[in-house]
Order: sequence, then C-alpha cells, then structure tokens
Amino acid sequence: MAQAQRSLAPEDVELLARLAPAAPTAYHRLNPLTKATAAAGVTLAAIVLGGYVVPVALLIGVVLPSAAAAGVLRRVARLSLAASAPILVSVVLVSVFTRAGTTVLFEIGPFDATLEGVDFAARITLRLVVVAMALVLFGLTTDPRSLVADLERRGVAPRLTFAIAAALEAVPAMVERTRAVAAAQRARGLDTEGSVGARLRGIRPLAGPVVLSAFAEVEERSLALEARGFGRPGHREPLWTPTDSPGQRAARWFVVAGVAAALAAVLVAQAAGVLAGLP
Amino acid sequence: MLELRGVSYRYPGAARPSIEGISLAIASGEVVGLTGANDAGKSTLCLVAAGLAPASIGGELTGDVLVDGASVRALRPNELAGHAGIVFQDPGTQRSGVTGSVFEEVAFGPVNLGWPVAESVAATRQALRALGIEDLAERHPARLSGGQAHLVAIASILAMRPGVLILDEPTAQLDPEATGQVIGALKAIVAGGTSILIAEHRTDVLAILCTRVATLKGGRVVADGPTVRMLADAAPADGAPQ
Amino acid sequence: MIRCDGVTFDYPDGTRALDALDLEIGAGERLAITGRNGSGKSTLVRHWNGLLRPSGGRVFLDGSPTDRRRVAELARTVGIVFQDPGAQLFERTCRAEVAFGARNVGLRGPALDAAVEEALAAVGLANAAGSNPYDLGLAQRKLLTIASVLAMRTPVVVIDEPTPGQDARGLGHIRSVLANLVAEGRTVVAISHDRRFMTESFDRIVVLDAGRVLADGTPAEVLRP
Repeated sequence: MAQAQRSLAPEDVELLARLAPAAPTAYHRLNPLTKATAAAGVTLAAIVLGGYVVPVALLIGVVLPSAAAAGVLRRVARLSLAASAPILVSVVLVSVFTRAGTTVLFEIGPFDATLEGVDFAARITLRLVVVAMALVLFGLTTDPRSLVADLERRGVAPRLTFAIAAALEAVPAMVERTRAVAAAQRARGLDTEGSVGARLRGIRPLAGPVVLSAFAEVEERSLALEARGFGRPGHREPLWTPTDSPGQRAARWFVVAGVAAALAAVLVAQAAGVLAGLP
Repeated sequence: MLELRGVSYRYPGAARPSIEGISLAIASGEVVGLTGANDAGKSTLCLVAAGLAPASIGGELTGDVLVDGASVRALRPNELAGHAGIVFQDPGTQRSGVTGSVFEEVAFGPVNLGWPVAESVAATRQALRALGIEDLAERHPARLSGGQAHLVAIASILAMRPGVLILDEPTAQLDPEATGQVIGALKAIVAGGTSILIAEHRTDVLAILCTRVATLKGGRVVADGPTVRMLADAAPADGAPQ
Repeated sequence: MIRCDGVTFDYPDGTRALDALDLEIGAGERLAITGRNGSGKSTLVRHWNGLLRPSGGRVFLDGSPTDRRRVAELARTVGIVFQDPGAQLFERTCRAEVAFGARNVGLRGPALDAAVEEALAAVGLANAAGSNPYDLGLAQRKLLTIASVLAMRTPVVVIDEPTPGQDARGLGHIRSVLANLVAEGRTVVAISHDRRFMTESFDRIVVLDAGRVLADGTPAEVLRP
C-alpha cells in the first residue's frame, strides 16, 4: 500500500475494544495462555500428587478464589458438579464396595463397604471435583476467539488456528441448520411427533441434509477463503490481540516448574521405595 | 485491466471444456455484464477470471488471463486476492466462520493481505459505508438476513480494494430494497475506478450498471456489445436475458 | 381454504412477528405475498402447516381450526417449499428425493410412481430422475424441491421465493407449474420479491408490513409504479 502510515482515530480504538470479547473482570483479562496454564497446572498437580492435602489446598487456595475473583463461583460449582456427577456416582459405588480392604463398615447384600474403599473413593472424588472445577473455570473465562488469536500471536500456523476457531463456531451454526432442516422435512410430511419407529426413521432425513450440505459447501467455502487472501504467507496484523505481561509470563513458568518438580519428586520417591505407587 | 485471451477451461475429470475460446477484456472503469442460461459457463468464466480456476480447483486452462497486462496464470489465488475479487451467489459459504462481528468479517481480507491495523480499519469503514451497512458493524455475521449477509459478502471483497470486482449473480437472493442498495454501491465502486464483471440474469440490473454485455452459450461468447443493443436484440427463449 | 383470524405471533425473545393479522384465501386462488425482510411473510405461512402456533388468534384450514392438528397431518393439505434446497436434500437420486414427501402423505405403488414422474417432468427434470441432486446446479436443485412438494398433491401449494437464480428455461417451468396447479383447482401461494414475476403471474398480491396486511389487491393497485 503506497500510502503514508495511518494511525488509529480514537473512535477506532474504542470500536476495536468493543469488538474484542467481553472481559468483565481482571481474571477474564488475563492472557488465555495464563488461564490455560493455571487449569493444566491444577489438573496435573491434583492427579499426580493425589491424597487429601493437595487437592483441598488447590481448591481452597487456587480454584475457588480465582472463580470468586472472576465472578463465576456459583456457575463453576454448578456446572462442574453437574458434569462430574455421573462419573462420580459410578466411581464411588465401585470403589466403596469392591476395593480390597480389611475394615468392613457395613454390608449391603453380598457387598462389603470397607474403610479402605471409602478412603479411596473420597480421594478420587476430591481430585475429580478439583479438575472439573479448574477446567470449567477456564472454559467460562476464556473466549475461544481470544485463545485462537493468542495462539496465532505466538506463531501457531494460521491455518491451524483458523481450523480450531471454525470448528468452535461451527456448532451453533449447525444447530441453526438442524432447525431449518426439521422445518423443511416436517413440511414434507415427516412425522417428528409420532411413534419411536417413526422418529428413528426420521434420523436420515434430519441428519442427511446437514451432512450433505456441509460437504457440498466445503469446496465453495475454501474457494471463498482463498479469494480473501487466506493462507497467504507473511505477517498478519489482526485487529486485536489479547495482552500479556512479564508478570504473567513469570507466573506461568513458575507453575510449569512447580508441577515439573512435584512430578519429579513423586517419581524419585517412588523409585526410592518411599511411596508405594500412586493411589 | 482484466483480459482473457483465447481461454478454454476444463474441470478436473470433465470430458469437455466448460468454456472455450473466450476472449474478453474489461478496461478500467468498465462494467461488463455476462448473461446466458444457467449451464452456459458464466460461473466458470468468473472462477477463471478470479484466478481460482485452475489454481484452487485443478483442471486444465489454455489461453491466458492478464491483470493490468501481466499474466496471472502462475499466481496462487491468495496472491491474486488484492487484484481480482470474486463474490459468489451464496453469502453463507462466504462467511469465514471465525469472526464475531461484521466489522471483523469485512476486515478479514485486508488482515490476510498483511495490512497494518489502521489501514485495515480504514478500508473496512470505507467498504461498510459504500454498501450502506455501517449500522451492522457490531452485529454477529451469522445473525443477518439474506440480503444483509450478501451486502456483507460484497463489502468483504471490496475492503481489499481489488482492481476488478467479479460478481456471480449478486442480486439473485435480494429483495428490491437490498438490490437497490447493491446497485448503488456498485455504481459508486465503478466511479472510483474499479472495473466490474457481473454475471446476471436480470435485465433491469444490467441496464443500469453495464456498459457492455456478453452472452455465453454452450461455453462460448456468442455476442458482445453495448448494453442497449444487446438487450434490444435479446431473444428470451434460449436463455438470454429476459 | 385458509383463514387467519387476528393471528398474532411472538418469538420467544418477545419480538412480535405477526400482529392481529386477518387474511382469507379461497380455494383455487392464486396469490403472491410480498413485503420487506422481517415483515412476517415466512412466519405467516408457517402457521398454515402448524410449524408455528399463534400466540393469539386462530388459523383455519378448509373450515376447521389447526389448533390441535399435528404438522404431519396438516402437511397433507398445505405443502410448503422453503427457500434453501440444502436444508432438505438427502436422497441419492432425484426420484427418491421427490418420492419422500409423496410417501409421507400416503401415496404408494403405481400412484406414487406416477406422482413422482409427473412432478419431475413438470419442472423439467425428467431426464435427471436417476441423478444425484448434488450433481445438479443450484437453480435445478430449487426446482427439485418444488417437484418434491408437487408430488404430494396437496390442495394448497406454497413456494417461498420461486424465481431467484432461475434462467429463462427455469422461469418457464415455474410459470407452467403455476398454471397447471390453478387448472387443477389447487390453491397457490408464492412469497416473492420479484416484481415482474408477481405482475405477470398473479391477480392478487398481499403486502405485509410489520406483521400486518398493508395492502391486498391486484398488482396494479398494490405495487408502486
């Protein structure tokens, strides 16, 4: 472009700030990689170190305060418990009643509930809950577009980041599509309110158009993208990118180093026979 | 500005070429209309002119395609993006699917071309203004009416400031109000020096916009002349403009 | 045939799409509905086959209310062709695609085959009966969706935007389809923005605006010059 360097007018700066995903709290405004590292760190630490102390400490010291700071404490609690409940119920039942142990607490038919089983179940439950909460917190406070934009800024190939972003945005579009398909097929007499057999027969007419039109569109979609310069080698300047800071960078390395050290310590202790293997 | 010289193109796996012996030149500031029945090769010609065929879809091209006098046969489409921009009929497939606002969607092209942010923003604002859709800037691209989506698709290409704008039936899905907006925008674009190649059935659109009309039949140009004469001669029965 | 009595429709988010709309369409009538985007055209016709239920007012089909009748049943009376072929095509051949709707409304055996062949011929796709719908161009896929409703032999046929993208041949097929439907005594409704098409093919045009009937009369009376 043979033009003098332009600078952004104040109303442009405001517009770009509005276009970037909403970040109501300081926690939201953290760099996506920072939030991802926190979630990964908590997850690894909880799983690897196990026991009671570590998960509880992570929960009270890291996860819950962060969720509160982000203003999503109640939603995190609700969603993570809802998500982990099915697994938890089966794991707890299996552990309590089938874990080998010596101290029997009570019996139900042929099944003995042992103290060792309850202990095991409690530790697993704690870990699952901490991990679920850490992951849900990450999901609720990180907009996928921010994550993708940050990945691109760090040098991940644009085609890959595009594929991730497109996949994430494709879900609501598919939901819309299925609604249009249902309307068109019902208008042709497809019975979606009838017997189970009728509904099973409806799977192909309802799913078919979604899949087929997606395939049919692929070629034109990629042509349209190419026509807009997608995949062009060279530097891109996106309209907005998530910010980062030296403090966050240091914190991330600290977490990575900490988790790595803990993992190493566990392995060494195991090798030295101090720990009888991971619970 | 844009010239096709003796161009024939055969789709991959096809027995015969879809267009043959096409020689068509679009000078700066010209608006050339392309008419013919649905299988006459209009869309194929648009793809070739935009450099997408054969570069993106394979197939065999004979003849030459020149932009500003230089052959673009060897260019990749994303290198051609700043020169010849194409807008397809279906705005849905032209949505990138990765942006959260119309503004970012329209800026997608300029950003891909590596422009500085201020330049991308300026080009986007201009394009939105030209199409009369500034009020849609912060709307989500997937939540637009058919007509609005089409205007956004055209703006997305216009923002890249191409020398030639190629449109494949742009008003097909639009209501009269949106059609009027698109025609108005295209006229302003032409006044700014961009050439236009527009494949179109509608004689009212052709009459307002085009300086010349070329008719395709069976993959060949069978007539090419000033709009007034072409529309007067048109015989509806064989798929020519009605 | 179709009567809308003070029909009001509100979307879940509160937007009012239809506002106490009154409309009466007699059997065998041929009518075009037009209006700006968002005026309620699509919303209105979806009330006729039960895809949408009114928030207020009532819809009558052939004298009886649509209240408790299922969509699958109402579809036997009102066949609607929507705008996007991609939202309905799923069979491997055009013949199978057209047969889908006809089979749903109860046609079988020779009667089904006859309905399918006739419908394909009416839109000029007789030669493409064994082809994959996605091997056809967009305009022909649109004609295919029209055929798939024609084969259902519904007393009322509604087509949402029949003309966009059609060349002269396609438009010819649409005109003859309309003429044949009317000759058979069926009720035909088209949603359209195509002025020329509406002026040439319809005697009655209903203009909607903000969910109400703004004008109802002949093209000359209703369409601005």
